[in-house]
Parts: sequence; structure tokens; C-alpha cells
Amino acid sequence: MKRKFLSIRFWLTLGLFCSILFAAWRIYHKVADWGFNLSPNRNIPVWTIESHLTFKPIGKDIRIKLARPTDTNEYKVLDETIIASGYSVEKNKDSFILSREKAQKTQNIYYRIVVYDNKEGQIETKSFIKPKINVVSEFDDVSLPIAREILETVKQKNGDFVQNLIQTLNNPESNEIVLSFMPDKKDAFELTEIIQNLLALEKIPSRLIRGIQLEEGRKTSVPDVMIEVYHAKENRWQIYHIHSGETGLPKDFVVLQRGGASLVDVTGGKDSRIKYSILKSLNSSFGMAKYRAKSENQEKLFSYSIYSLPINQQNMLKWLMIFPLAILIVVILRNIIGLKTMGTFTPMLISMALVETGFIPGLIAFTLVVGVGLAIRMGLSKLNLLLVPRISAVVVFVILIIQMSAVIGYQLDWTVASSALFFPIIILAWVIERASIICEEEGLRNACKEVFCSVLVAVITYFVIVNNTIRHIMFAFNELNLVILFIVMLLGTYTGYRLTELKRFAPLVQYRNKK
Amino acid sequence: MKKRFFNFVFPWKLSQAGVLSMNRRNYAIIAHHNKRRLFPLVDDKVQTKKLANEIGIQTPRLIASVQAQYEVKNFLKLVQGYKSFVIKPAHGSGGKGVLVIKSYTKNYFKTASNRVLRYREVYQHISNILSGLYSLGGRYDTALFEEMVDFSTVFKNFSYQGIPDVRIIVFEGYPALAMMRLATKESAGRANLHQGAVGVGIDIKTGKAIAAVQHNKPIQFHPDTGADLMTLQVPFWHEHLIMAAKGFEMTGLGYLGADIVLDKNRGPMVLELNARPGLAIQIANQTGLASILKKIEQTYPKNLSVDERINFVLTQTHK
Repeated sequence: MKRKFLSIRFWLTLGLFCSILFAAWRIYHKVADWGFNLSPNRNIPVWTIESHLTFKPIGKDIRIKLARPTDTNEYKVLDETIIASGYSVEKNKDSFILSREKAQKTQNIYYRIVVYDNKEGQIETKSFIKPKINVVSEFDDVSLPIAREILETVKQKNGDFVQNLIQTLNNPESNEIVLSFMPDKKDAFELTEIIQNLLALEKIPSRLIRGIQLEEGRKTSVPDVMIEVYHAKENRWQIYHIHSGETGLPKDFVVLQRGGASLVDVTGGKDSRIKYSILKSLNSSFGMAKYRAKSENQEKLFSYSIYSLPINQQNMLKWLMIFPLAILIVVILRNIIGLKTMGTFTPMLISMALVETGFIPGLIAFTLVVGVGLAIRMGLSKLNLLLVPRISAVVVFVILIIQMSAVIGYQLDWTVASSALFFPIIILAWVIERASIICEEEGLRNACKEVFCSVLVAVITYFVIVNNTIRHIMFAFNELNLVILFIVMLLGTYTGYRLTELKRFAPLVQYRNKK
Repeated sequence: MKKRFFNFVFPWKLSQAGVLSMNRRNYAIIAHHNKRRLFPLVDDKVQTKKLANEIGIQTPRLIASVQAQYEVKNFLKLVQGYKSFVIKPAHGSGGKGVLVIKSYTKNYFKTASNRVLRYREVYQHISNILSGLYSLGGRYDTALFEEMVDFSTVFKNFSYQGIPDVRIIVFEGYPALAMMRLATKESAGRANLHQGAVGVGIDIKTGKAIAAVQHNKPIQFHPDTGADLMTLQVPFWHEHLIMAAKGFEMTGLGYLGADIVLDKNRGPMVLELNARPGLAIQIANQTGLASILKKIEQTYPKNLSVDERINFVLTQTHK
């Protein structure tokens, strides 16, 4: 007998450990691979950048090199898709190579990437590999002295040299030398080229960054550029805005390529045009998990998880997932603390109703309905009705009370009264019936005590399940329910004293000691 | 005595005193020693009575039983010839739904606590029993009509109205702990300790009072009659023990509580057997049950006859 008892506990403990390990493993993966968050998420903006490339073939074999963003710290790529029929696609670390034999018609190639703002990783740009030191500038004999002069002027200013240089170049009106140096109409690429050349003269390595400034609904045919300058002293790259000279990556800017000649390189075609369109969508972390699971090759696993269900079913489950925790609390309060409640799960159902109604209005409505119901039930007991008809009458009365309080609540704009609607009718009727029987048999004091204990348990349960973080965690990491299952089963073998028994049996010990 | 609300003791103190906890009773004692299929034997008083009479345990005589609502109107015919009777539900527990009729006419009924009920009210009571008001889980029930126990006058001064009864806990056939429950004014003639009845711990060997409590607190005198509870001595104690111990053979329940009343003429009679006896008996005795049960399970011989077991218990020395 003793041995069997031990082994049951042993297996349950083993099960608990296994379930904890399993849950820990799954939680780790959900956080690391699927991007689940421990706190209930605000929605995360997810950006879709679609590049549409068109060109006319010139009758030769076609080879296209498409730059693809490597995972940077600032943005995380969730999904990449290329729609290019007839092409063979080769995926490299920083580019796609598309190739096919000669074609006739105009070619359309779509490249879609889904990225999201990786806020945690944005704090600092990692230091990159040291660049080649011998940088060459390309100035002819005429412009070389002017360039040196500009550099001299900039050097005399205080502060960041590169920043000052950029600002000077962007305000040519302030300085005649600069004005003569700069071309009349310059686009971003030309400007960057000049900056890079000037920096090269000072033996400062720099490179071009191509990327996209994210803006909802934006369409553009040229990528945005930034310049990244290497600071030898600190051994790190620093990004500068080419117009304002501000440092750091601007908000909502996705880097597609660092250095490199161009984003798209088409051989075997002419008149190539590229168009970028940007779309923003708000996604919950569950919505994004699909993409992330895909990128981690866990697509199968994800599609068999609850997060791939339709949203309304997910919401239903989100509600259900809190039940095991509520049950655990009831078990603890009854078997460890030793509170006596009416019915095993009545308090749990009351607390669920409280979530719907709000705490104070719910409690008031509950007290009101039970109070009025009890008064009516006392009257009913004078009629000496049989059991089943009497309980039925109580149910009908409860419905009438709820109906009345809903109408009155609506007319007086008093939401407290209407919140009675959310309480399960049968539960209310049961509480009233039980309370009145206890009252008749064991006195009003015991009846009040039991109702109070039930409400107390309900309130404790309420405060746990109403917490948004707890609800989120129970849904996002649903394997915790397995842990709860084993805890509940282990509690089923708990044979120690309940907290209330420490009080109940106290006189026994104290009296013995006196003797 | 000062009334302290936060009057707690440490759990190890309780376990030192060998106090049996509710969880251990449910898990280690009831679940392991009482097979579930045996429960109906004691939950249904008709069956209990039948079994008891087969094995030679005295119980209050059954006058009649009523199972269907249409039979209720004939209940006066059923008790014809009896001056008094007791109505109880077959599946009741804790004395719920028990109505003791001391005397009656065609229209009026006088109860044990001298309340006068009208015919309609008694009719209603029987009807309530049938519809399951007092039964476990609200199942349809049978109403029993029993002969009233002619209570021995020995306990007259020790009880305020009501029926004093002896509860003996029997473990593996050995009487383990005993107490007497005495009604008070506060308990309204009922013998339930949590309603304010007095519990008197009874020495298992002698049948003498060893301690008394009301509301979990030690007392010396009955709050209503003023009788010195320590002078209580249950007569025919040996018969009480044998009767309780026989409950083991009768039901097969390893852990049971036998409720025994003393009839003036017929001697001790089993009122009912309980498969889930409560823990208040420990407080009445100022003794923990767990240590006693452990001792019985580990050191007492198995497969003894009833008499041998009682003799074994009587020769045991206290530690």
C-alpha cells in the first residue's frame, strides 16, 4: 500500500518535471523562432516592400542579380518571395541570381520582402569588418585644389568633420567655392559620390547604403541612399544622412544593400525599370509567427498549433486557456488553504462573469440578485413546494430579477444594474438555493460564511484571470497547461494539513500540552 | 478563556500530535480502505438495516417505507398501532431530514423538541424526502418509518433535548476512537458538533469520558444542563464495542464510523454506519487519529474474530 502510494507520487513528479522541461523548450522556441513576446503585445508594424522589375530582352541569355537585404539589426526579414516565371533562382547570402535562356516579350519580375521593426536590436549597429585602407579619389587637376580648399574650410569648424562636410555641401549658397564646385542639378547619387570623393581625399573610407524609406502607400522608382563612414579611431561604421548630416539610421529605413554597385543588375536586357511599392500592415505577434516559423523551417509545426486557427476560434481558445489556471487556484484554495465553497466550480464561474461585468459592478449586481433572490426564496419555503418545482421557481425568479435590473439599469443609465445579465442564471439560482438550505439547517451565520467564502475564492480567481499578461502568457505558451495538469494531479496526492486545519485543531495541541 | 481569532499552531505540532488531516483521510484512508462499491451499503439505510439484522446487530425496527408520492397519503395507516415513530430519508446524512414524532393525533404531530406540526406539514416533509431534498446528490429517495428508540435515561442530564449517540471509529475492524455527541440548546436538539453540540471523548477501553469540547474548545460542564461531563460513563460499553466492530464484517469497510444509541429495553442499537466519518472526534478526544490508525495498520494482527479483536484492543497499553 505504502509503496504504491509513493510510486504514484513519483510518476506524477516525474511527469511534472518532464512537462516543465517540455514547456521550457517550447517557450524558448516560441520566443526565439516565432517571436512570441512574454508581455501582451501591442501590434507590430510589418512592412511589405515589393520591387517590380521590367525590362526588354535583347535576345541573349538573361542573368539578373537582385540585392537582398541580409538580416540587419534594425529590421528583421520575415519572408521573401520572388515571382519570376521561367527563371531559375539561386539564393546567395546577399543576392539572388535569376537566369534563363533568351526570351521574347517584356519581362516582369516581382520580388517581395516582408520586414518588421526589430526594436530590440536597433540600439547599436554592429561594428563591421575593417575596410580596405587604400581609398582612391577621382578628381581632375582643376577640381582637386578646390576640393582641398573646401576640406580646409570644413576642418576649421568644430564638431563632427563628416557632418560638417555634408552640411557645407548641402548649403552651397553660403560659400562661393562650394557653389562653383557643385553641379547645378544633383541627385542623391551624385551628391553621395561627391561626398565619398572628398572623404577619400582625407583617406576616410565610406560606402553607399541603398535602402527604402518606409512610408505607407509609397511608390518610388529610385531607392533611398545614405552614406556610411568608417571611423578608424573607434573602429566602427557610422551612418550619415546625405542632406542633413544627421547620424544614425532614420526611423523606418530598411537597408537593402551596403556598398555594392546597384540593387539590380540585368545582363541580356535593356530599358530596365524598377518600381518599389511599400505597404504597411499591423500584425500581432501571433500573426507574424507564421512568417517567422516559415523562415525557421517550422511551418508544419506552426500550422498544427492553435495560432493558425481562424481568429474567432483563437479568441474562444484564449478564453478557454485561462480555465486550467482558474481550476488550479480553486484546487489550491480548497485543498491547501481549506476554504469551503458552494459547489466545486461555482466560484470559478462567478469570477468568469466578473471579468465580463467589471469588478465592482459585478459584485454589486451579484449581491443584489442573490440578496433579492434569497428574500424571495425565504418566502417560497413557506409555500412548502416540492424540490424540483421550487428550484425551477428560483430560476424563473432569478431571470425576472435580472430582466428587471437590466431594464431599470438601461433607463437610469446605470450600468451596474445591467451587468447582472452576464451571470450564469443556473449558478445564481444554485447559490440562492444552497444558501437558503444552509440557512434553514445550520443558521444564517453558516450560510453567510459559505457565501462569503465562495465569493472570496471567486474574487481571488478573478484577480488572476483578469490580468492581461497572465492571459496572454497562458495563450501564447499553452504548454503551461500541461504543467498545470501535473501540478493539479500532484495536489491530488497532497495529504498534509490545510491552512484552516492549523486553526481548527489548534485547541487539541494546546490542551494536550496543558495536561 | 481569551478568544483569539488567529489561533494557529504549526503543522509539525499537529503531526507530532498525530492529527489526521482531511486530505490524508480522503486520500490515504478512505480511498485505500473503503472500496467505492461498498459505499451504497451504508449510504442506503434500508440495506444497512437488512445487513445488520443478518449479522445480529440490533437496529431500530423498520415500520414501513414509502417510495412513491402516491403512497404518502396513506402514511398514517402505515404507522397504525405505534404511539411514536421516526421519519428519515434512506440516503440522508448527518441527521438531515430526520423527524421524530413523539405523539400524534389525526391532525397534529408533536416532535421530539415539542414542536407541533400539522398533518399537511408532515405530509410535505415525507414528500420532500421522496423528491430527494435530503439525499446525496438530490436523487429520488425512500422515506423510512422507524420505531422510536426508547432512550435510556442514563444520559438525561447530559443532553438538552435531542438524541445523545455514541460514535465509534472502527479501523480494519478495531475500534480506534470513540466520542459521545450531546445536543445543546444552541444545536437545536441536533448532535452535530459544528452546530454547537458538545463532543465528549470516550475512553475506548472503559467507556468513560476523558475530555469534552464545544465549538472546538475544552469544557467541563454541559452548557445547558450544567452536568459535569467528566462523570459520563457509557453503560454496556463492551456491547457497544462489539457492535461497532461487527460493522467491519458487515460492510467490508476498513474505515467506518458507527453511530450507536442506547435503548432502555433493547440495549445498544446501531443507528447508522458512515463510510466517511468526520475528524471532529479528534478534538473531542484531544487525541490525533493518524497515530492510532498507523499503529493498528502496522502492529495489530489481521484475521481475528470480533471478540478476539475487542479483547486485543482492551489489553493494549497506552504508550
